[in-house]
Amino acid sequence: MYSIIAVDISGRHKINDRYYMVCAAVSVSITADHIEKVNQIKIKTFWLDSVELTDIIQVIEDTAKEIEFEGTIITEHGEMYNQPEGVVASMFSRDFKYQESLGERSSIELAHHISLCTRNLLLNELGIDS
Amino acid sequence: MKRAILVQRNDSMIDESKNIRQFIELQDLTRSANYEVVGDVVQTRGPDRKYQVGRGKVEELALMVKELGADGIIFSNPLSTTQIYNISETCRCEVIDKFQLILEIFAERATTKRAKLQVELAKLQYELPKAKAIVSLLKKEERPGFMGLGSYEDSYEQDIKSRINRIRKELASVQKDNESLRVKRHERGFSIVALAGYTSAGKSTLFNALVDENEHVDDMLFTTLSPITRALNIRGRRVLLTDTVGFIEDLPHWMVDAFRSTLNEIFLADVILLVVDASESPDIMRQKLVTSHDTFWEQIEGVPIVTVLNKVDRITDDELEERLESVGYLTPNPVAVSAINGLGLDELKMEIYNQLPKWKRDTVSLPMSKYGMSIVSWLFDESIVHNISYKDRIIVDFEARDEIIKKAKGIELKPESEHTLT
Repeated sequence: MYSIIAVDISGRHKINDRYYMVCAAVSVSITADHIEKVNQIKIKTFWLDSVELTDIIQVIEDTAKEIEFEGTIITEHGEMYNQPEGVVASMFSRDFKYQESLGERSSIELAHHISLCTRNLLLNELGIDS
Repeated sequence: MKRAILVQRNDSMIDESKNIRQFIELQDLTRSANYEVVGDVVQTRGPDRKYQVGRGKVEELALMVKELGADGIIFSNPLSTTQIYNISETCRCEVIDKFQLILEIFAERATTKRAKLQVELAKLQYELPKAKAIVSLLKKEERPGFMGLGSYEDSYEQDIKSRINRIRKELASVQKDNESLRVKRHERGFSIVALAGYTSAGKSTLFNALVDENEHVDDMLFTTLSPITRALNIRGRRVLLTDTVGFIEDLPHWMVDAFRSTLNEIFLADVILLVVDASESPDIMRQKLVTSHDTFWEQIEGVPIVTVLNKVDRITDDELEERLESVGYLTPNPVAVSAINGLGLDELKMEIYNQLPKWKRDTVSLPMSKYGMSIVSWLFDESIVHNISYKDRIIVDFEARDEIIKKAKGIELKPESEHTLT
């Protein structure tokens, strides 16, 4: 069993010429094929003007630093515009890799549901017209 | 044997070891398809819209084809219809890509009706997005009497679509039969265990070692195309073991779809044995495991996986330890095995037993009569009988699935007047 921080971002399309993004970071203890324990969940919202790779990395770093548990940051390939792992990892200030095992994929799926639901809820509650 | 030149275009950003691995895989696939490799060309550059590799390289290839007497060129990268047309125009020989090569292998190995339908479906799905381009390229060389005016692009595409639909329907009916077969097997007390893993991991060898049979094993990719199932007894539990087609990296979605009914043998099993060749380097093992996890994702819905680290006779204990350390995060419930010399098979059977759907233990009291004896015989068939005592009544201590226990308990409570043999 080992701990990771699974991250997912929702909102990569423009609202009133800007991007309203919700990033969910989930610290989980996993095995190769399933999640054993959810340690902590952090959600942060961002208004961005652009969604370049560096912006995405900043969003992830800002959210993941609020997690109190250690662990490599893991995302889907598409989150980083399918850039090679080595290139992306070198831009992070902490360990990063793409999803590999079933356990890691399940964790990212969990993060994805959290970020998507949170964004939908916030858009609704704040009356932001998407 | 046909002679072929292999070509691979590498992206400069991609890790070198991945490029090497893919090229070796292409060589193995070519060998499996009965081609002789007479030359190879590797180029590192961005993709070219017209030729995939650079124009100069294609001219070089044309010279190589002439000099080496090659019958065809096989690309590792997927080719568009225009690229195939342009390259074959320049080189004057057959040009195919890796996926078409895989289809060739599949077509040659397909023996059952289902496998043949799946191969045809895969071929059509490969052709569908290219249908319009194929017709417009053919029309370029239009001769009087050849089709003439009209929107043949659409009708050709429509024709492919209707053939795809027809095959899908036929496959669905095969699938339905298999579904009911699976339900029946479960009803008969069988648990289903499927062998899965990268192609050439030694699944068929392990299958033979476990069921003590002599299924065809070859040092080639895709030896097993249609699933083969045999019964096996593991500590009293009846198990059906299924050998299936191997996975391959970057398998396109249309191909996974076409082989869905075969892959379902894996996805709908009670336990999956994920076989890995442990004699390969940790990096290659990691890549192959990731491919397997990728294929399983969103399909297996919590089915327990046992990772079989096969071919451990080829490595030392230290090397095995090193591999487990570097790929341990991708190997659920690992068991080290050598299928060829039977090492670790008992541990593997024990692990399979541990992962099988749990049976409960219970006691049932039956009347000492002909009817009671028939129920005992049925319990011996459907469950593991741990203890039995014949006194005034027959007391059976047994282990079985929930349904069997419920049925036995129901019989226990039945009044004697309803005890009839069926």
